[in-house]
Amino acid sequence: MYTRLLLTCFATVLLSSCVAVKEYDKMYLSDPDMLLSLKKSKKYVTTFHSYREAAVGSNGGNTGGGCGCN
Amino acid sequence: MKRQILLIFLSFSSLCLSQETSQDSYKKRVLESTELDLITSYYKQDGKNAAVTGGIGTEELTDYAGSIVVAIPLNDDDVLTLNAGISAYTSASSSNINPFDGNSSADPYVASTGASKSDTWLNFKANYSHSSDDRNSKWNGNISVSSEYDYFSMGAGIGFTKLINEKNTELNANFQAFFDSWKLIYPIELRPFENPPPNSIPDFGGVPGYLPDFNPHSEKNRNSYALELGVSQVFSKKAQGILLIDLVSQHGLLSTPFQRVYFNDATDYYFDGFHLADDIEQLPNSRFRASIGGRFNFYLNEVVVLRTFYRFYSDDWGITSHTTSIEVPIKLNQKFTIYPSWRYYQQSEADYFAPYNLHLSSKNYYTSDYDLSNFHSNQLGIGVRYTDIFAKARIWKAGLKNIDMFYHNYNRNSSFEASIVTLSFNFILD
Repeated sequence: MYTRLLLTCFATVLLSSCVAVKEYDKMYLSDPDMLLSLKKSKKYVTTFHSYREAAVGSNGGNTGGGCGCN
Repeated sequence: MKRQILLIFLSFSSLCLSQETSQDSYKKRVLESTELDLITSYYKQDGKNAAVTGGIGTEELTDYAGSIVVAIPLNDDDVLTLNAGISAYTSASSSNINPFDGNSSADPYVASTGASKSDTWLNFKANYSHSSDDRNSKWNGNISVSSEYDYFSMGAGIGFTKLINEKNTELNANFQAFFDSWKLIYPIELRPFENPPPNSIPDFGGVPGYLPDFNPHSEKNRNSYALELGVSQVFSKKAQGILLIDLVSQHGLLSTPFQRVYFNDATDYYFDGFHLADDIEQLPNSRFRASIGGRFNFYLNEVVVLRTFYRFYSDDWGITSHTTSIEVPIKLNQKFTIYPSWRYYQQSEADYFAPYNLHLSSKNYYTSDYDLSNFHSNQLGIGVRYTDIFAKARIWKAGLKNIDMFYHNYNRNSSFEASIVTLSFNFILD
């Protein structure tokens, strides 16, 4: 029930938000800390999470390969 | 659930596609110059629930890792990225694949000195990307290979990215496949039962009555196929987010051959004070994993940025999990930024998990790997970044652009604790 509610809220926000910000207005969005991709310097942190936890994916990290068994 | 996820993804994509209005005519070089990243890490963990010794015993492990990533612009549109990595670890639990080293009594809480106490992992990956003239679409392909003593992995992947809505919306699709193979290594006491000589009764250490119902694996391979779909969206001049869906299908040997299991309904046998395995971990030979997650970044002001993340994960082994994190970069001045962060993770246990000595031999599948148990964890992090946008500091032909240093401390609600320090350097080459 809560999951459905959250997903619906999230979808509503997304669906109403397809604005067009011009390239010359993207100064803040271009800040390195605003990047949506995984930081290269964090890749080993993400790797250890994928070994020590069951969950993988949806974070730009590895989703397979390697046993992670130690 | 799957239908809901697909519906959201498709409706969002179609709405954004309908808003595509213009294209840029200016063609900018995708990557101005060659970039070099040197990334190193030191990782340390400890706990009292080692899977190798059936859910009890030391989990102490240290790992030193390093990698070099070089991104080379081949022309205006194409970039080749090469990534080579090495990781050297020592693991107390792995050492207890053979706990009978003769130096002291065998004990799951004490590391042994056997050959399996350490290993080196090597990795190489090459990625090629091509961007269209209008920079609104990009193809990429990659191949990878990694190797350690008992495990070998090959991977390949392709991806496509489309930018629309004046580059305010980005659609991604990536497919990745991994083809892995094990060198099967079993706990030392089970090896006499792996291929016993004809007409003989296998024996370990002359322990009377020890005759486990152990069947070696016939499968050595593990294949993984991952599809990732993503939509990122600019919400305003200061806010953007991404929605990611990952679907992963795995087949083959998904259990670890040297992880012991003890049955509650079987007689316990000991050698040198060490509890001999009743069997090894047995898990299904297929697993379907799905996750949906999102990031939302907000540029609060010229000093503070908010970076948030949430993920829901589910698989057909009975595990569901929630992950959430927040990082708050704080710019101290033009050169230094600090990165406090917090991450919370919670998962339910796999259908096949039970603690030490609590499994029933009548079951088909069983594991005492606490990575598949019910737990939650907290991680606190702090980091600092040094930035020189002009890359004035030079080492030979390389200008230093960034130095990142991060520390993360990870605590489960069990005995498990881990820490990792990463240090990375980003150079621009002439």
